[in-house]
Amino acid sequence: MSLLYRIQHPRDALVVEGSMPITSLYTVGIAGERFFREIMEQARLFATRCPECDVTYLPPRLYCERCFSQLDEWVEAPATGRVHTYTTVHIDLDGNPLPEPRTIAFVRIDDTDGGIVHYLGKVDPSEVYIGMGVEAVFKKKSERKGSITDIAYFRPV
Amino acid sequence: MIRQVAIVGVGWSPFRSITPSISYKEMMYEAAVQAYRDAGIDPRRDVDSFVTVAEDFCEGTSIFDEYVPDQLGALHRPMHTITGDGIHGLAASVMQILTGRFDVVVLEGHSKASNILTMPYITAFAMDPVFNRPLAANPVFIAGMEMQRYLAETGTPLDACGQVVVKNRGNALINPLVEFGAELTVDDVLLSEPVAEPLTRLQCADHADGAVVMVLAAEEVAKTLTDTPIWVRGIGWANDTFWMESRTWGQAGYAYLAGQMAYRTAGIKSPRSEIDFAEIDDVYAYKELQHLEALGLCRPGEAGMWTLEGGTDLDGEFPVNPSGGSLGGGHMLDCTGLARTLEVVLQLRGKAGQRQLEDVETGLAFCWRGVPTTGGAAVILSN
Repeated sequence: MSLLYRIQHPRDALVVEGSMPITSLYTVGIAGERFFREIMEQARLFATRCPECDVTYLPPRLYCERCFSQLDEWVEAPATGRVHTYTTVHIDLDGNPLPEPRTIAFVRIDDTDGGIVHYLGKVDPSEVYIGMGVEAVFKKKSERKGSITDIAYFRPV
Repeated sequence: MIRQVAIVGVGWSPFRSITPSISYKEMMYEAAVQAYRDAGIDPRRDVDSFVTVAEDFCEGTSIFDEYVPDQLGALHRPMHTITGDGIHGLAASVMQILTGRFDVVVLEGHSKASNILTMPYITAFAMDPVFNRPLAANPVFIAGMEMQRYLAETGTPLDACGQVVVKNRGNALINPLVEFGAELTVDDVLLSEPVAEPLTRLQCADHADGAVVMVLAAEEVAKTLTDTPIWVRGIGWANDTFWMESRTWGQAGYAYLAGQMAYRTAGIKSPRSEIDFAEIDDVYAYKELQHLEALGLCRPGEAGMWTLEGGTDLDGEFPVNPSGGSLGGGHMLDCTGLARTLEVVLQLRGKAGQRQLEDVETGLAFCWRGVPTTGGAAVILSN
């Protein structure tokens, strides 16, 4: 036996509406703390290095995802990099068209094996290409609060 | 000797864009009744354990695993829910049987995506809250960036992505289980609204509701239940780095690793010649191509031309997504891998109707968990 009768009219299909209110704090951690403080106070990027694997992590981590060793070597990274890949997004989180499409890129930060996913600015989307050199544009110090959005965007160099 | 495990029963609730007439529980019940009838079993008597797959945020409740026993006939019985795709659940079910403590295990996956009013927010909630979520971007940007890099690295023409959609939605036209069948041209696809360039609207699978239930059994029991057991020959699953800042962006490392594990466990050395067809995650059109290459079914950079030449068509040398895939049948959340697996089972049973492939003995199903994940699972089935 399976379902014997089914609803015959959409008007008879009742729904109960609900939502999940979820608010969380996300501890940025020891590595994150140093990373964001350097951005906030000095507008500088810092990374950690695994000498064993010759990998430089940006954002910094306290452990290597390849060999699992603990990392304590910190290096300053330049605020410049190259567009590793990019896209121009046309819809917002609700799926509605953005008034102005925005270009997002994964910027491979120079001298690191990592990078930052962020918006590109001061560039026509049609002129972006893989390998394009870009630099971070930091917000004014008074506006920085220890977030990835302390970087306003990346712009071509 | 390791026990052999077979799929001995399948059932489903048809895949539809909206299903206002039934609840997710009734959908699961409908699929379960059909699967138990197919396997010739009574769930209250013959099943040793139940495995389901679901993600709390998609269900709109926390601790969703508590909500599943009754509609499956699993009350008071061993059961657990995995936060993973259906093929991850299939792996768990197979492993239970391999322990020797369970002979018959039931597996369930479903999607009631139409009940979710804020899907992109749920997906965005899966992004790293410290480094990525503050951008407040629709997470489809991840697919756009990945596609861009994949095309650049492999030299795959955009037309090939369009052709994946033309093929899969065309296949769906002769699949009564699904409803996204359409006759399209490559231009229709590529000139549809841009979403996250170069991704356009028609290259993204819409969501669908539906449920799939499968009954798995150890060899000795399977042979008493059915004349057409579908054997699980190999299974594999893997994750790539989840950090967006450590990804390669162009390659699907998880698909490579999951495929290699599945081939190893199945004793398959040359997947292209030892497998007859595949159902492969195509939630975005480029994903089918990227996954085909990562799974070693063609060389890197060849999937596009192979597709444009018709090699993966229903009547091609290696049909891919004869069911229509997710583009033709809808993205079914964590049921997606079971939708892919279901088609492999039906094809291997010779029960795929108008889209039945000739002389097929071995098929592969592969799932990916969607953006922003880098996780996937593969299963190889034989008749």
